[in-house]
Amino acid sequence: MPPVLRPPRHRMDPRARTWWAVQAWTTLSGPALLAAAALLVLSALFFPGALPWLAPLALVVLVLPALLYALVMPAWRYRVHAWELGGFAVYAASGWFWQKRRIVPLSRVQTVDTHRGPLQQRFGLATVVVTTASTAGDVKIAGISEADARILAERIGEAAQLMPGDAT
Amino acid sequence: MTTHAETPWRTLSPRTLLAHCAWLGAPLGSFGLTLLATGGHPGARAWSTLGTVTVVFLVITAAGLVTYRRTRYRVTPDAFELHTGLFTRRVRSVPLHRIRNVDLTANPVQRVLGLAVLRAGTGGGTRSAELSLEALTRPAAERLRVELLARAGAVDAEDPVVSTADPRWLRYAPLTFWIFGGVFAAVGAIWRVLDGVGIKPWRIGFVRHAFEGFGRSALWLTIPLALLVVTALGVVGAMALYAENWWKYRLEWTDEATLRVRRGMFTTRSVSIERARLRGVVLREPMLLRAGGGASVRAVAGGLGNREENRKRSVILPPAPKSEAERVCTHVLGQQGGRTGRMGQTGQTGQTGQMEVPLTAHPRAALRRRFVRGLLWVVAPVTVALAVLGALLTPVLLYCAAAYAVLATPVVHALARDAYRSLGHALRGNWLVIRSGTFQRETVTLDRSSVLAWTFTDTPFSRRAGVVTATAAVAAGEDGYRIRDMAATEAAGFADAAVSGMLREFLDI
Repeated sequence: MPPVLRPPRHRMDPRARTWWAVQAWTTLSGPALLAAAALLVLSALFFPGALPWLAPLALVVLVLPALLYALVMPAWRYRVHAWELGGFAVYAASGWFWQKRRIVPLSRVQTVDTHRGPLQQRFGLATVVVTTASTAGDVKIAGISEADARILAERIGEAAQLMPGDAT
Repeated sequence: MTTHAETPWRTLSPRTLLAHCAWLGAPLGSFGLTLLATGGHPGARAWSTLGTVTVVFLVITAAGLVTYRRTRYRVTPDAFELHTGLFTRRVRSVPLHRIRNVDLTANPVQRVLGLAVLRAGTGGGTRSAELSLEALTRPAAERLRVELLARAGAVDAEDPVVSTADPRWLRYAPLTFWIFGGVFAAVGAIWRVLDGVGIKPWRIGFVRHAFEGFGRSALWLTIPLALLVVTALGVVGAMALYAENWWKYRLEWTDEATLRVRRGMFTTRSVSIERARLRGVVLREPMLLRAGGGASVRAVAGGLGNREENRKRSVILPPAPKSEAERVCTHVLGQQGGRTGRMGQTGQTGQTGQMEVPLTAHPRAALRRRFVRGLLWVVAPVTVALAVLGALLTPVLLYCAAAYAVLATPVVHALARDAYRSLGHALRGNWLVIRSGTFQRETVTLDRSSVLAWTFTDTPFSRRAGVVTATAAVAAGEDGYRIRDMAATEAAGFADAAVSGMLREFLDI
């Protein structure tokens, strides 16, 4: 039986789901629905003849993807996103359709940042970014509670300082 | 030089004599055509030609036979010795540690006969320092190459010069993108310069005449002719560019800690790579170059500027014979491995030994995924577009759609097969080796200790196929090097083994 990489132990904060949903509505789904509505209204007012083909087209290209993204993505993302601080490494899983699991040894960590965007503050969430000497080695843990973020950042920082070397 | 009576002499392949007869094809063919044309009654001139051909044939065969009988070679513990001589007999001997490259080539006739010409050079630049054996059977040639390089490599490590330019590498120049791209880039540049000084090129008399003449001419003749001219220009341009870029190319260790590339004809360039920041090498084989048996080498190194600069500056070997590229890789890595002093731990005797661990193939699902991708992105869009237009406009396009699908599918399948065959990964001693790509095949060899993170990416589709893409992050070169579509069951174990236990605490065993 070959060894299997198990998922990281800790989920994101449950409030992250709402945060992702709000993000989805404000960045993609909202504008797409508005665009579809505007198209259909304008077409109904000025080119009623175009409606029979424009309505299904807008439905398939704009409305359905927008709804699917806003309704499905947050739950799916919540099932995937996870993090764990091991004795020697940070381990994080992210993404939803394209999923990514990344392991970075603490000895390779160069900086640890904590961000809190305006929306995140509203939900009491934070993002921890761990950078390494390689752009393909940076870890972003987005959507954990502020308290968790503080502890995580502190512990990674401490552990990284104990490790010798220039982390390249 | 001490004599080694105990080492037996070896001879060339007798099939070489057959290869010498290849030139007979043209005169015999033309004689046959003459026979056909005259209805079996060739004139006196044809007979005299045939007579001449026969005499020449006898002379050449006799000379070939003597050369074949007189040519012997052997590899003693410290030298490669060669006996030759048609009229004057020569014995040449090259110390094994001086041998820098061993090149195998074969012209089409030799390839059909399973022969190869072996050239062993000392890389000194002078042709006299080269031994050439024409010709050996392919397996014998491969064996001899391994034999020569295995012993050459052992002492090689002490020599600071890794590789120097060889004018014969110019033959690889046309096998690059520049053969066509260069012509169009040059035309575009001239056009822009003229435009910049306010000259409208199409107003110039001879340009207009040329275009008008082209339009009126017999297009079935002039279009291939124009293509031929563009190709010829491209070949010349590519060779000029290669020469400009790689004139006096020299790759050497300037001191214990620095690898330096110097090159260039009009602009001389010199790039120094710190040994401490050298993480590995990439053997690059673009499709055309690969078909021609060539490869180029890039260093995976930090401290060469941003990614764009890194791509330009990290080339440590121009398009050259693949054997030379492999030798440069082994040499550079051998020196680099010496720094960390872990080469010994692997239990391998020489650097060449490590390079023989076979690459692990990827699951068949990877082949299917490549084929499906090709169908989705290459076959389907054009077929659907043509079919829709055909349904709306004219049925001719429907036939075009069918023809395109029928023709493109096998091509896509062949490319997918090639891409699949390229896929592979392995741990060779201190090195992590990753190979992938069909249009641009790359074999990446990374120092295992420089891998600073592992990433596993998958999608619902790849999970169903049971494959995953693992990315090794390094602080050099392209930053991330991907092992595409490896078996999902194998990925975690392989990544963990590659970087001693990086993943262990997260594994369910």
